[in-house]
Amino acid sequence: MLDSTDKPAAKKRVILLAGDAERRQLIEEHPQAILVSENLPLRANLSVLENLTVVLQFRTNTYIGEANNTALTLLKQAGYADCAEQRDPDLTYEERFVAKLLRAVVLTPPIILIDRPAQLLPDSNYPFFLNRLLLALEGRFEQCWILDYAWNAPLYSRRA
Amino acid sequence: MSALHAWLTLRGHGVSERLFAWVRLSRFALAALIGVLSPATYNKATRLVVQKQIYFTAWQILPGFAAFSALFSFLIIEIVGSTARKYGFYDYALELIVRILVLEILPLMTVLFIALRTGAAMNTEVALMKIQNELDALQRIGIDPMRLELLPRVVGGTISVLALTAVNIVVALWLTHLLIVDFNPWTLTTGDFTRMIGRVLDIPAMIVLWGKTLAFGFAVTVIPISEGLSTPKKLFHAPISVLRGMVRLFFSLMLIEAAALGIVYL
Repeated sequence: MLDSTDKPAAKKRVILLAGDAERRQLIEEHPQAILVSENLPLRANLSVLENLTVVLQFRTNTYIGEANNTALTLLKQAGYADCAEQRDPDLTYEERFVAKLLRAVVLTPPIILIDRPAQLLPDSNYPFFLNRLLLALEGRFEQCWILDYAWNAPLYSRRA
Repeated sequence: MSALHAWLTLRGHGVSERLFAWVRLSRFALAALIGVLSPATYNKATRLVVQKQIYFTAWQILPGFAAFSALFSFLIIEIVGSTARKYGFYDYALELIVRILVLEILPLMTVLFIALRTGAAMNTEVALMKIQNELDALQRIGIDPMRLELLPRVVGGTISVLALTAVNIVVALWLTHLLIVDFNPWTLTTGDFTRMIGRVLDIPAMIVLWGKTLAFGFAVTVIPISEGLSTPKKLFHAPISVLRGMVRLFFSLMLIEAAALGIVYL
């Protein structure tokens, strides 16, 4: 397992794994972490804002207005407030990823695990995108670990 | 001989599968009942889902459904009233209408409409949530899907069935008074109407009526949700799940209706 920490978002760690078994083991070893994964979709018949609000409201028992404001502030901070009212099938890969990541952020876990970002962001320079997004959300999460395969290591070089 | 053996095995497998489905449904119904009665289920998020469910199941259709119900009640009242008048039983028309329309037809018609509209939608939604891994996703991020997504639908759906039935009954009673007493006042008076209501809708009849409606409301939400939850994670199973859910729901509603009739008339 290779481990690297990039400068811009200091709480970000990229963990490069040799294979699927190692990835599964790492996830199992961190049950307190919230996973952002292709296999854990958003609620399809709720908008992005509702997906965040419902989780926040359920966890903290806050009023809907308060939860909406928090969720909208997060979306604005990430630079994706425009997709707040859209539902999952209408989202781009980036918007869907942001919604999933923010759903994890509102739960304030000790660790957020971004599982195989290449699956979540197939048509983009995802290391650059992740770096920029996590930088925008700095202060909103404790630790964010990116789980990727070792063969994608060149993508995380400084020029990528 | 081997063909007979294969046929019997297939039949036996089918029967055991159906039995197992009913056992699974009963287990879920019991868990739902406990969950619904538990105060720990409710917080601001779950109450909001309950409100939304009531809005989509009852409030959204209220004007149209009340108008349809009024038209239907009008037809039944007219048919029963004119037939009773023709055969010289007009004094019994009121009681006949209340017994047939208010106690039997309207609760059943309401729940069948909700089953077609909301039950089928709920079954499909839960099946798709299961197939697309949405329920697992909630569980994985520490949100109990039973508490957030499923129980509020049971509560909202049941309240909606009770409320729509109550509205339909009030409309039907008002129409009965209007058509039988107000428009044809030569044989029956408002006093006759009030006395008849007091006699027919006595406490045991009300207990059976609202007990039956409550059971209808519970069945129309619990059965589709349970069927949706037991859908295998393959997209082509979604229509099969809805089909099974609706058939099971229909038989359960008929069973509840028959049990209520048995209690009242046997």
